[in-house]
Amino acid sequence: MRHSRVAYPLTWRVMDVFERLAAAVWPSSFQRGLPYLMLLPAVVLVGLLVLGLIQIGDSSLRTLDTSTFMMSENYTLANYQRALSEKFFATVAGRSLMGAVIVTVITLIFAFPYAYLMVRTPSSALRKFLLVALFLPFFIGQVVRAYGWLIILGNQGMVNEALGLVGVPPMRLLYNYPAVLFGLVQYMLPFAVLMLAPALTAIPAELESAASSLGAGWVRTFRHIVLPLARPGLVGAGLVVVTLSLTDFAIPAILGGGSQDFIANAIYDQFFRTSDQGLGATLSLLLVAVGSILVGVVFMLFGAGTLAMGDERK
Amino acid sequence: MGIVSTDLHKAGAIAVSVKDVGMVFGDVHAVRSASFDLPKGKFLTILGPSGSGKTTLLRMIAGFDNPTSGEIFINGQPVSAVPPHRRAIGMVFQKLALFPHMTAAENVAFPLKMRRHDARTIGEKVERYLELVRLGGYGGRRINELSGGQQQRVAIARALVFEPDLLLLDEPLAALDRKLREEMQLEFRRIQKELGVTTINVTHDQREALVVSDEVIVMDGGEIQQKAQPVHTYRSPANAFVANFIGVTNFIDGKVSAISGSTVSVESNGQLLSGVTAADGAPLVPGTACSGAVRAEQIRIASARAGLEGLETIVEGQVADSIFEGERIVYEVTVPVLGGAILRVFNHDPVSHLQFGPGENVRLGWNAKDMHVFKK
Repeated sequence: MRHSRVAYPLTWRVMDVFERLAAAVWPSSFQRGLPYLMLLPAVVLVGLLVLGLIQIGDSSLRTLDTSTFMMSENYTLANYQRALSEKFFATVAGRSLMGAVIVTVITLIFAFPYAYLMVRTPSSALRKFLLVALFLPFFIGQVVRAYGWLIILGNQGMVNEALGLVGVPPMRLLYNYPAVLFGLVQYMLPFAVLMLAPALTAIPAELESAASSLGAGWVRTFRHIVLPLARPGLVGAGLVVVTLSLTDFAIPAILGGGSQDFIANAIYDQFFRTSDQGLGATLSLLLVAVGSILVGVVFMLFGAGTLAMGDERK
Repeated sequence: MGIVSTDLHKAGAIAVSVKDVGMVFGDVHAVRSASFDLPKGKFLTILGPSGSGKTTLLRMIAGFDNPTSGEIFINGQPVSAVPPHRRAIGMVFQKLALFPHMTAAENVAFPLKMRRHDARTIGEKVERYLELVRLGGYGGRRINELSGGQQQRVAIARALVFEPDLLLLDEPLAALDRKLREEMQLEFRRIQKELGVTTINVTHDQREALVVSDEVIVMDGGEIQQKAQPVHTYRSPANAFVANFIGVTNFIDGKVSAISGSTVSVESNGQLLSGVTAADGAPLVPGTACSGAVRAEQIRIASARAGLEGLETIVEGQVADSIFEGERIVYEVTVPVLGGAILRVFNHDPVSHLQFGPGENVRLGWNAKDMHVFKK
């Protein structure tokens, strides 16, 4: 007996105690309910979101009385009519959608080689460097980073000073559409790389060797093998980047300087500047609708399996 | 240019020539000064344990790695500066590397598309090669709808459809179960003979090497140990490594006491045993430490009083273990006169139904020409 006590480590005995405790608190007949219980927090969180959405839906159907600053009692579609007919909102929506698409395309083009190099490099030092460089921006908040760009791109900023040294007069690099897009691309790049890397890891390097032994140079190996097999990753990364840029607030606000508002900025203005909760809620719902339709269309075109969900593709 | 063409003419019969090729990764010599010539149409197997450098050698021939020293010639032309996609080499990879997003036919068509053949030729050739690997009618299947053996066949068809100068096989059979593997070995052999394509196969499976090849190169520690025809490799191993790696071999350690011609007398624990010098082995002189190698199936086992007529070396021993393997019985026999050495003996005699049990006294006998003596 003493022998077996010695062979039985302390940590195992501690775990035994825990297991006995767990058995007392949660008898094995309840075991089958455990997975559902673990699902509960997520269900509660999503439920709260739905509740909020109902609240917003309610507000969107009431107009603001500008004399009393009270919401109307009766339901009306006036807010929707305003949102869809006023030229200002069409401009903002167009700018956001166009911006999201341009940012997505540029981000994917930049992210692909980065992710590819990170996955395929034989040097673990380079891989670590690329990973750290990727995660570093996450430690710096989006707002702080946008202010950083103000310092770099401002009229007296580093770029203009450097240009001044070679005799180029100061240029206005901020508060325009390209500046916003630039800031967004820089912000989205890590997300896209992180979504692409697993998809590229899933492509065996042997396939590329095989393609080259079968007569394909690297351009055609890329076109016929890597690109089609990376499609799930590209679609997933594209979706994330499109939705994040479409709904972004800080970058258009700071780098656009109020002249390049995206939908989120317009919503903010309605809620906190004009205090028109109804119109703000309407714009929010429309944004959710546009985003959902976009995701829905992508899923219909490529299948939900593109996000590596389900195993229709082995 | 004139020189090149005469060179080509002279080298016409040699498909691949490897000259003093070495490969160093960091401070590891994966391949050391390997040299061999492979005539056109031959099936060569490079056999060796993992880490012996056989795959590195194959990858250098394919062009995925460049040798750090030496040169490889294909059809008489040096190929160091030629990237893989410009070498006309078909390769079947260890994990097959079939393209999962294409059908079987699209996989086979890939090398032809890359060579810009027209659609009609591609269609015809794909069909012909799928037919050749007995997959007619399976062209439309996706890769994951095919069984392991069928995937093997698609990979072979894809590697051959563009009529490459050379076919490389990088242990593609390693993952298959034994029955399918043996079936595919014969299939490789059949297809290779049918097309007459020069083939280099890499494997650690000695049986595969013996079954499929015209020539076998045995590698160990990055060095070529022996290059010979399978029968020669098996019957006259060049050194103890080869003798041990192929087949089941007993080693009896001792000292050379006398040599005359190819006959060697080995003194082991006071016993004199006669053997022969290894055909391609290191030279022996009296007094050198050596070991005599006898294959398990070349030792006859008989009861203690039996004669064992005609066998030159006879020792007495005691059965330590007997293992029934179906078509043969494997004995482990302790031999006191050889210092208690345990010899392994195969008995393939299906007629007598005789089996010795543990503890039984037996006699072992073998011929002098079946004991190969290697320098230690």
